[in-house]
Amino acid sequence: MDILAIQLVNGLSYGLLLFMITSGLSLIFGIMGVLNLAHGSLYMVGAYLALGITKHVAPSFFAALLLAPLLVALFSVILEVGLLRPTYRLGHLSQVLLTFGLAYVVHDLVRWIWGSSVQSLSIPASLGSSVELFGQTFPIYRLAVMGFGLIVAAAMWFFQEKTRWGAIIRAGLSNREMVGGLGINITVVFTVVFAIGGLLAGIGGVAAAPILGLFPGMEFEVLILALVILVVGGLGSITGTLAASMIIGVVDTFGKVMFPQLSLMIIFGLMALVLIVKPTGLLGKQVN
Amino acid sequence: MRKTKIVIAFLLVLSMALLSACGQSATAPVSGSENKPQGEAPAAGGDKAPANQAPVKIGAILPYSGVYASLGENLTRGLELYFDTVNWEAGGRKIELIKEDEENDPQAALRKLRKLVEKDQIDFLTGPVSTAVAYALRDEVDSKKIPFLVSHAGGNDLTRSKGSNYIWRSSFSSWQIGHSMGKYAYDHISKKMYLVAADYAFGHEVVTAFKEAYTAAGGEITGEVFPPLGSNDYASYLTQIKGANPEAVYAFFAGSDAVRFVQQYEQYGLKGKIPLVGSGWLNAEDIRPAQGSSPEGIISTMFWDYHLDTPENKAFIEAYEKKYNQRPSIESIEGYDAGRIIAEVLNSLNGDTSDKQKVTEAFGKVAFTSPRGPIKFDPKTHHIIQQLYVIQTELKDGKTENKVIDTIGEVQDPGVQ
Amino acid sequence: MESQKIKTGSLAAVLLLCLVPFLSSDYFTGIMAEILIFGIFAASLNLLVGYTGLVSLGHAAFFGVGAYTSSLVAIHLSANLFVSLISGLLVSLVAAGIVGFFCNRVSGFYFLMLTLAFSQMIYALVYRWGSLTGGDNGLSGVPKPTLAGGVALDSSSSLYFLILILFVLVMAGLRLFVRSPLGQILVGIRENETRMKSMGYNTTFYKNVSFVLAGGIGGIAGALYSYFNGFVSPKDIYWTMSGEVLIMVLIGGAGTLLGPVFGAAFIVILETIISSYTDLWMLIVGTTFILFVIFIPKGIVGLESVWRKSAKARAPVQTESPESVS
Repeated sequence: MDILAIQLVNGLSYGLLLFMITSGLSLIFGIMGVLNLAHGSLYMVGAYLALGITKHVAPSFFAALLLAPLLVALFSVILEVGLLRPTYRLGHLSQVLLTFGLAYVVHDLVRWIWGSSVQSLSIPASLGSSVELFGQTFPIYRLAVMGFGLIVAAAMWFFQEKTRWGAIIRAGLSNREMVGGLGINITVVFTVVFAIGGLLAGIGGVAAAPILGLFPGMEFEVLILALVILVVGGLGSITGTLAASMIIGVVDTFGKVMFPQLSLMIIFGLMALVLIVKPTGLLGKQVN
Repeated sequence: MRKTKIVIAFLLVLSMALLSACGQSATAPVSGSENKPQGEAPAAGGDKAPANQAPVKIGAILPYSGVYASLGENLTRGLELYFDTVNWEAGGRKIELIKEDEENDPQAALRKLRKLVEKDQIDFLTGPVSTAVAYALRDEVDSKKIPFLVSHAGGNDLTRSKGSNYIWRSSFSSWQIGHSMGKYAYDHISKKMYLVAADYAFGHEVVTAFKEAYTAAGGEITGEVFPPLGSNDYASYLTQIKGANPEAVYAFFAGSDAVRFVQQYEQYGLKGKIPLVGSGWLNAEDIRPAQGSSPEGIISTMFWDYHLDTPENKAFIEAYEKKYNQRPSIESIEGYDAGRIIAEVLNSLNGDTSDKQKVTEAFGKVAFTSPRGPIKFDPKTHHIIQQLYVIQTELKDGKTENKVIDTIGEVQDPGVQ
Repeated sequence: MESQKIKTGSLAAVLLLCLVPFLSSDYFTGIMAEILIFGIFAASLNLLVGYTGLVSLGHAAFFGVGAYTSSLVAIHLSANLFVSLISGLLVSLVAAGIVGFFCNRVSGFYFLMLTLAFSQMIYALVYRWGSLTGGDNGLSGVPKPTLAGGVALDSSSSLYFLILILFVLVMAGLRLFVRSPLGQILVGIRENETRMKSMGYNTTFYKNVSFVLAGGIGGIAGALYSYFNGFVSPKDIYWTMSGEVLIMVLIGGAGTLLGPVFGAAFIVILETIISSYTDLWMLIVGTTFILFVIFIPKGIVGLESVWRKSAKARAPVQTESPESVS
């Protein structure tokens, strides 16, 4: 029984970690309709910047957690203005190709700057120990990530539902011309949304780095996982993304233990099942 | 009108591609030896002139991108370091190294092999890291009779059912790695063992070989689990292992998997309570810095270690650190030895590589004391016979260091069983 | 008049392709063979992406199913070309039928992700079923195909001609197909599915037809690739392969007959040549993708229309209506 309980906690902590990684992708797709295949790359840049900051600037994890995502957001703004903006009139496939090309470029740049061997970001000493939970040892850092993930979710919900910016963004999603007609510059809205998406990717990168490690190629691992969560949750729904992250975290954790033969298939099987039963994901709207 | 233009464009592209291919063969890419003067190679062995003055071409198919890029890099460094020490010359011929990216993709590697064989006309092939790539190259190497020194890929079958007259392996087989720990673990660690390994062919082979030796010694396997290769999160597996309450755990993981597994082994409170043993990639020289203090106490087997106390190893490490300002890894020594083996073959043939049968026979006669200890080839299996060492990780001033605590002795792959 | 020109042009192209093994090295013939194989593969995906408007990120599943089936048949039953090729074709048709049945219930981005899910599950099956498929080590030792009299196609030029013949057959077949009433229905679905539905067409049925056909042709390409390499790797099914072929279609120009073939040629040549010179080939390939999107959004065949436009500006007499490309 205790083992079941602790596995549930394992699953939820993995799920919340996945949510932090996916939330930015979900936001960008939901509002801008851009499938950002470079999302994993932004996540990777966040992780590597955190490594660079703790090594060369300030040897503090929390400084990195504050600074690295901001730098990623800045990087995202440059990408959005310089590369993505001219492609909005071209349709989804062009953006897919562009952001995928970008992922290739960032991959090699990171390898060129930081080398190709695996590295890791140390867990801050204050969160480095473990606690007893249901008679099992559980690392405090994971609990902290869970809490942080919930805070990010709450902040996103608050931002989208309760602030003026959130209202503008929601309006932009349903009717771009109308927002334009209200005298709001949709171009700026897009840049801001893309920056927030980058910020979230960066936060995810820093938070995940001590657990998942840093190496070129980490971004593609995460990208596929994030896309799956995005679809299972339903496009354009942050709540759906949160639910999907938790479900995938828990199902994956239990599936690996109970059906080890199927471990490679669980996540994709779950996605196929959800889409066949409910073609727009758990909480999604129809988006073409 | 439109279609005609497309067809014409297609013809244009085609002829351009043809031209570029022809143009290229005149200027084949050369790397490694470009800093050496292009001159007459000095005649070796006094009055006996070398049979062939043209440089000997060695093709290296190694990963320079993708997840194994750092391994490919270290293998190349070792290889180039050795060729430096012989001034890029052996058997009276200049050595030319042509590097191609394996991309960890069998099809891409096969494409590169065709290029090396048809266009560069290599005399030797060395590499790759991935066993799948080695298997993919096997048929082409065999039919084209290219002497192929496998310098990393460790799948058993490469020197067993998929063996070839022209394939020799100087690195290791998964059997050597797994089997070597079996008896030692029974005698010194525990009579019962839980197995965990990355779920791919190589992981299964290592664990099977370990199981074979461990149960033959009298040990009992209490459970086993195979997390997918590249797993993000080992929490559920570690909970499962802990729930089984095993006396000890044998693990096979490498690269980023080893970092995650060993770190999480500590975070989930298994370290220090359940002894962790495994293959030397679990606590390898190049990944320990990323593992922090978590690998402390791991006992593993490997054919080389940084702290192996022999004059050959000291000299190798000194030269390596001087050139690259970095510690060598397991892959560095593999590259270094591969370079020396090819050079010894060339020396014994006086540089004459025209008879492929003689070349492959010459491999069988190579024997010397490498930084990893005395090595030689088994002429029957074409596989290296080498010593394996028991290595333990200790904590020294907040950093981990490995220590050689025992020698398993010579381990010879049994070949086809 | 125009069709006469097309015939002459195609004939010249095929003739030139026939000369490749005689004029160039084995190495270059090999590259050309790979281009033709990927050309078939990309053209089959183009049937979905370009003509029917269904963007699939799981097309490698059928390439892989074709490759594994024909290799397994060649290893265990018969190396006869027709036996192994037709079994590869049949099994990939069936696989595409099943996968298509489920995937065509959803649309847009959900379709893309569902095709990805199915291809990844097929990948997992192949990876897991090691006793049959060799797992992650791949299936090696695939014998070269033989003809009826026991003649083996074991030289690189005989294999090249086999690939070329199938390439010509597939391209000619596709040209006939996209101009047939059935092909026009597919284009109609791409342009406006709701309209086609209201006109009384069972669009789901036609989408399934397109999916099955694309899967079958993809399977042929896979079977040819396994003959060519004598080896099949699970990477042939992995999503990176699906991504690569999708890029070939996009770079070449979706919705045109020859665009994907150009795309395949471009990608194969780019990757082969660049990765011999630099380790940072992903940087260069990625930059190329970005440049394509920004400067040549319609793909390589779009280059031709750019060129024609500037020609038009100089001599404004031409009055062609350009085929719609989207």
